[in-house]
Amino acid sequence: MPRLRANHPVTPYAFLAPAAAVLGVFFLGAVVQVVYYSCTRFTAFRGPDFVGFENYARALASERFWRCLVNSVAYLAVTPALIVLSLMAAMIVEAHARAGRWLRLIFFLPVVTPTVVAALAWKLLFNEDSGLLNTLLSAAGLPRAGWLSQHPWTLLSAMTVTLWRGFGFYMMVFLAGLLSVPRELKEAASIDGAGRWGVFRTVTLPALRPSIVLVFVVSSISALKVFDELFVLVKGAPITQQTVVPLLYRIAFEEGDYGLASAVGLMLFVVILVFSLINLRLSAGKEGASA
Amino acid sequence: MSDKRPAWLAAVLWIGAFVLVVAAVGPALWLLLAALQPAGSDMYSFNQRPTLRNFEVAWNDGRLGIPLVNSVLVTLARAGLNVVLAAAAAYPLARMSFRGRDTVFVLLLCTMMIPDQVILVPMFRIVVGLSMYDTLAAVVVPFGVSAMGIFMCRQAFLAIPASLEEAARVDGAGSLRTWWHVMLPLAAPTLSTLAIFSVIGAWSELLWPLVVLQSPEKLTLPVALTTLMGQFSTNIRAAYAGAVLALVPIVAAFVALQKFFKPEMFGGAVKG
Repeated sequence: MPRLRANHPVTPYAFLAPAAAVLGVFFLGAVVQVVYYSCTRFTAFRGPDFVGFENYARALASERFWRCLVNSVAYLAVTPALIVLSLMAAMIVEAHARAGRWLRLIFFLPVVTPTVVAALAWKLLFNEDSGLLNTLLSAAGLPRAGWLSQHPWTLLSAMTVTLWRGFGFYMMVFLAGLLSVPRELKEAASIDGAGRWGVFRTVTLPALRPSIVLVFVVSSISALKVFDELFVLVKGAPITQQTVVPLLYRIAFEEGDYGLASAVGLMLFVVILVFSLINLRLSAGKEGASA
Repeated sequence: MSDKRPAWLAAVLWIGAFVLVVAAVGPALWLLLAALQPAGSDMYSFNQRPTLRNFEVAWNDGRLGIPLVNSVLVTLARAGLNVVLAAAAAYPLARMSFRGRDTVFVLLLCTMMIPDQVILVPMFRIVVGLSMYDTLAAVVVPFGVSAMGIFMCRQAFLAIPASLEEAARVDGAGSLRTWWHVMLPLAAPTLSTLAIFSVIGAWSELLWPLVVLQSPEKLTLPVALTTLMGQFSTNIRAAYAGAVLALVPIVAAFVALQKFFKPEMFGGAVKG
């Protein structure tokens, strides 16, 4: 019987090496540095000089940091809207036996649209003088809104773009979840006299629980990281009407204050971490959802 | 159940489908309409002759040809690198035991926990330190692999029966040949899913290229579009035409590859 060739002891490391090099240099290296940078006075021109927690104190004492943080938390409102809209889209696709395939493709088109293009398309609709929305509002005799310049419309406009670009993606996650709903269970419930709403509530929705938790976690974390939509849509609006990542970009690459930007980044990480832990606790509390 | 659906429910489902279709394609079609109208004209006078003039201006004065090529190169390189590096790293993690395996898992989970935006500044400094600033490599290499991709590939490899791999080994194939000729073909659906997600992400990406690119001849399309918006503030329709140009290749690729878009691929493969 031929002998099985054993792996050379170096083999596993050789396979891992390229990925480890990339992640090690650019990611883990950066993680170590961001902690150090956040404790230094470090600008585009000089530094880094160690200053302890000065940057954290400066950020926490600045009004714009708190405004942007509050806006980031407010941006989380996009998450329930995304869940409802994408679940509705999934149910509509599922219900249309023939047309479903095409509907699915059409609803996915916004997902492949680059965010810059999506934001530009919506900027046209939100244009305060000639945009379709304000034109329709005027025609209906309603007051026009400052979609691109006034708080909280700026956030709402950006959230609309996030919603538009995201619902097709999460719809696919729900469709994948719907595949796992046992047909016999639906039929059994139906035979037991449950109406359509009853079947949805007692069979479909519980079966979708893991998908809902997944979409909730993923979409809320990406809501806390939003940048592109705001950068294109409301670039002219004051930073206090935007969120934490645009603030971080401004501090680092327009003001050149790397130390302060690193501290802001780490505080964003803490917010995301705390939010994820609360999330995890809540979803684990109500019996094991395997997301 | 669907055969005895009451009329009101059927109506609701069709109306819902119609509203969502309009919402999904409406904004992009409105953008196209605006791009086809003559510069400085009124958006709501629909009797104008459509013109390609804005596309000419965007292409010639906005110099979109170079960013288009850059975006194609960056997107393909990112997808290729992501697939190869993730599939390579996933192989020993799925099939071999070695010292430090647990450490590798912990470090990979760490990279998934920390959003890129948090470490934007040091990543930028590392790129500058490696003399990669303002090169296309700076857009490609740092995001050439992700822990998510590695875990996806590992999952696919774990589902492949060990007997297939052993058969190749018995025939004298080394680990590299086994990986290439047995594991990769059998994991093809997962690898193509990973490639598709990489392409969609890289084609759309704005923040990172914005940070590491500067010269006009190095920009990718999304970055070039944001500069175009400033440049053409007096003729914003040229910027709209540019946006349509950025949309066409990805939609064409999507339509061509649509049979690969199945809900199954979204089951576990989600990254925020």
